[in-house]
Amino acid sequence: MLLQPILISILAGAFILVAPKKIRKIVEGFSLATSIYLFLACIRIFIKSPINGGFLYVDGLSRFIVLGIGFFGALVTLYSLRFMASYTQFRSYYANIIWTIGLSMLAASSNNMIVLLTAWGFLGLTLYMLINVAGPNAANTSKKTFIIIGGSDSLMIMGFALVWLITGDLNLSNIKIVIDNSLSFWAFLLIAIGAFAKAGAMPFHTWIPDTAKEAPVPVTAFLPASLDKLLGIYLLARLVMNVFILNSSTQALLMAIGAITIVAAVMMALVQHDFKRLLGYHAVSQVGYMVLGLGTGNPIGIAGGLFHMLNNALYKTSLFLSGGNVQYKTKTSDLDSLGGLGKVMPISFFSALIAALAISGVPPLNGFFSKWMVYQGVIEKGKSGGVLWIFCLVAAMFGSGLTLASFIKFIHAIFLGKAKGERRAASDERRNEVSLSMWLPPLILAVLCIVFGIFASLIPLKYLIVPALADNLDFIGSWPSAKAALFLLIGLGVGLLVYLAGNFKGVRETDPYIGGEEVEEKMRLSGTEFYGTIKELPFIRAFYKKAEKKLFDIYEIAKKFIFVFIRIFQYLHNGVLPTYLVWCLLGIIVFLFVLVR
Amino acid sequence: MMQNPLPLFIAIPLASAFLNSLLGKRIKGFSDVLSSIATLALAAISIYSVFLIKDVGSIVYKVGGWMPPIGIAMVMDSLTVFMLVTINVVAFLISVYSINYMEKYTEKGIFYSLFLLMIAGMNGVIISGDMFNLYVFLEIAAISSYALVAFGTEQEELEASFKYAVMGSLASSFILLGIVFLYSYTSTLNMADMAMTLLTNGPSRIVLLASVLFLMGFGLKSALVPFHAWLPDAHPSAPAPISAMLSGVLIKSLGVYAMVRIFFSVLGATPEILSILMVIGSLSIVIGACLALGQWDFKRLLAYSSINQIGYVILGISLGTPLGILGGLFHLLNHSVFKSLLFLNSGAVEYSTGTRDLQKMGGLREKMPVTALTSLVGSMSIAGVPPFNGFWSKLIIIVACVQSGHFVHASWAVLASIITLAYFLKVQKHAFFGELKEGLSNVKEAPFFMKFSMIVLAIICLAGGLLMLPAVSGDFLKAARDVVLAGQDYITVVFGAIK
Repeated sequence: MLLQPILISILAGAFILVAPKKIRKIVEGFSLATSIYLFLACIRIFIKSPINGGFLYVDGLSRFIVLGIGFFGALVTLYSLRFMASYTQFRSYYANIIWTIGLSMLAASSNNMIVLLTAWGFLGLTLYMLINVAGPNAANTSKKTFIIIGGSDSLMIMGFALVWLITGDLNLSNIKIVIDNSLSFWAFLLIAIGAFAKAGAMPFHTWIPDTAKEAPVPVTAFLPASLDKLLGIYLLARLVMNVFILNSSTQALLMAIGAITIVAAVMMALVQHDFKRLLGYHAVSQVGYMVLGLGTGNPIGIAGGLFHMLNNALYKTSLFLSGGNVQYKTKTSDLDSLGGLGKVMPISFFSALIAALAISGVPPLNGFFSKWMVYQGVIEKGKSGGVLWIFCLVAAMFGSGLTLASFIKFIHAIFLGKAKGERRAASDERRNEVSLSMWLPPLILAVLCIVFGIFASLIPLKYLIVPALADNLDFIGSWPSAKAALFLLIGLGVGLLVYLAGNFKGVRETDPYIGGEEVEEKMRLSGTEFYGTIKELPFIRAFYKKAEKKLFDIYEIAKKFIFVFIRIFQYLHNGVLPTYLVWCLLGIIVFLFVLVR
Repeated sequence: MMQNPLPLFIAIPLASAFLNSLLGKRIKGFSDVLSSIATLALAAISIYSVFLIKDVGSIVYKVGGWMPPIGIAMVMDSLTVFMLVTINVVAFLISVYSINYMEKYTEKGIFYSLFLLMIAGMNGVIISGDMFNLYVFLEIAAISSYALVAFGTEQEELEASFKYAVMGSLASSFILLGIVFLYSYTSTLNMADMAMTLLTNGPSRIVLLASVLFLMGFGLKSALVPFHAWLPDAHPSAPAPISAMLSGVLIKSLGVYAMVRIFFSVLGATPEILSILMVIGSLSIVIGACLALGQWDFKRLLAYSSINQIGYVILGISLGTPLGILGGLFHLLNHSVFKSLLFLNSGAVEYSTGTRDLQKMGGLREKMPVTALTSLVGSMSIAGVPPFNGFWSKLIIIVACVQSGHFVHASWAVLASIITLAYFLKVQKHAFFGELKEGLSNVKEAPFFMKFSMIVLAIICLAGGLLMLPAVSGDFLKAARDVVLAGQDYITVVFGAIK
């Protein structure tokens, strides 16, 4: 039952790849049908779990990951039908999307380390191909992405090899390793690097903003925003909860990585001019909360991390897809040239607004609830002493504030404010929303954000998160989300009443008065200037400068480092025959010395 | 004859080379057909031998009916068959590829004669059960490869061929010297007999000296650091099918196979020799990978990559553990498939665009879809991306390193595999993805036979992982591994098969 949908996805993908180019409509319909079939299969697996099928094993943790994979897969395929209509490489696109869904299911449900590695590695290749669908410009980004992802896969091989050396067992469910020596620590770290690179935690995050900028929007929404988070955090959760027993220093390392990721990425997000890059940095920043939650090691923190992963997938995908709608309509993703689209595209605006509030942690939406759980996890961890938790807590809260700040910029620059020039405003008083297959997916996700927030304990936690944990949840501070939401609504309602009852109706809207002068283009507040001052703060300025030069990019650092060696080796290979003969002589002398002596 | 196909492996290519030089010029298309049929026959017989060996066990052929150790012996055990399959299947596909590719050279007939002679030499090295014959066949293969490297007769090719010939003869003379020392010590040239004498006589410094000579000689033939310097000149200079042949199978049969056979089956692999091999294997992995990353010439990049990948093979085998040897041999097989494929791809690109410089290519994916897709498969295989064959062999090698506690070597292997991925993505980015460069808008896809070979090799890359399945690997891969593991049991196998 587990293997069947995976095999079907592989065959369907192969079929799409070799299908003739002329039957585009059929290929698209077939892809949608396959993705819906896979979603139904995922639901079935979810209901039937736990399933133990030898290599494959679905338990409480992996079952909701599998469900999420199927859900996002179907949604993104639906969205792609229209969005990808102008791309020529559609066969490669749909084949890789379908493969990605199937192999992600395999990765999430595999119990055998080799099966996991295989699925995991192949996902890197599909991601590479999917980025390349965007065309020639994406070649650089796809290369960088695949080197980081594929490289981390190689490290994972080493990590799993160490696990195998320690336990002699290939089945994850049989393994329980206490981290008490350097060998087990390295095993954990090397596998965790794979998870970090996939999910995008620092310092392996640098592919995400680039990919977000270059790849087609559905690809970004599907992989870095939702699926890679699900898989990466799933693997980390698997390691933290089942495979390894972490000692306190490993937990501290995870928490520190989480905290740094939150703050550093959100600082970068603040100053972006391209909304796809901005969302890309948030996709990194949110991983910090998940890693932080998992790093606490207590049930509430882990549950918070997992719930945050799920929530993030919801609102981040919604944001990317709404952004994609904007890009589809306006052909740009530059914040500077957008504005005032709220009236033109009301549904996309609504979805984006809800999702933006959710990611910023505004109650009663889902993002608030999971962050609240992560905070509690950190505080709980703080009971065991140390000072690190205070920094982590401050970083998490600070990051949350900055997230809100940067999303004010995002919403203002795209949907509020004024468009650059009068390009759209005059004639487009009528609604000019994108078609159903494009506004529906983000709207569904936005509604889920609300539902998961208000009924957090009733639905997602009860059915998805708690079954994944071994222990029961103990909340330190309870947040009765439904009641709170009710009060919030009442509050809003009262406010509305006051607004309606008061004399505010007669408010007149007018252009700003500037002494009789015409409002000029340069007086427009596009939103990109928001937080420009942060960049000029004395200490932080240096960091931004360096970050813009990519001095913190692990890919660039490694490249520079290796090219030093390459120069040395190239210098030695001067093409002169006697030099080469001398090497041979030296070699044989060394051999003689070692062997004959 | 089918009970003992051993002589055919030498007779068929030798006879076809002879016939070819006799008739090739008179009848149009004769060389193409003859060479393809001959190599197809060789490939078929080699695959048949896998099943033959499974039924009847190892086979010894007594040349001229003389009893070994006096007479000359040809030996076929599982390791031999494994190598024969690798060589002859690849050789067949390369021969088919040459039908179109060699059109641009004038002397196609001579090319095929040399090509078949080289195959005869390689097959001879592999089935030879006699030290001196091994040397003779090694020289046949090597000398025809010197000529083939110079085949274009441009300045660059002649220079590369000269360097190659000097260093190759250096290697050959060291090997010969080693054989002479062993002969003087054991008074026999038959490998099994020699192994037996060495066992009864016990260790000696003269054997160690011969080991050093062999390490250097075969190390040079298989292009291990620091004896690798000829390869990046020689392999790219040859015509693409020959580059594929040299990097794909020649360095393995003349270098790795001969080294493994002599050290494991005859001399006995001591821990000291294995650790030397391990170190030079790791060095080759890292240095080859770094140099490949810095290259802009497509074929030179592939040549450096061969040094890198041969390092993996040697590292795996020199671990001496069952898993390590399995990984090493599997990687040897895989490497000959995907490296041949990649060289054929580079040939197709050169055939269509006329350049080997990656900076002058770009966007060829639209123009040459088959080449682009097969080269993607080849690149992913060599970079160790699942589900292609290279992933499995690298996985085994890394796991085997970890298993035997060689963490440092394992980390070199891992880091270099990241670099491998990086330089093949560089190839993909600059040649096939990216913007279509000026002047490339009229590029056409390679002709039929070239496409055929590339597609078949790509399919083997994809299906190669199936060799991991126990049911498939048992008689082929694992059997070859067992021969290496058994070491000097070679004696009993050979003498057992004579009777």
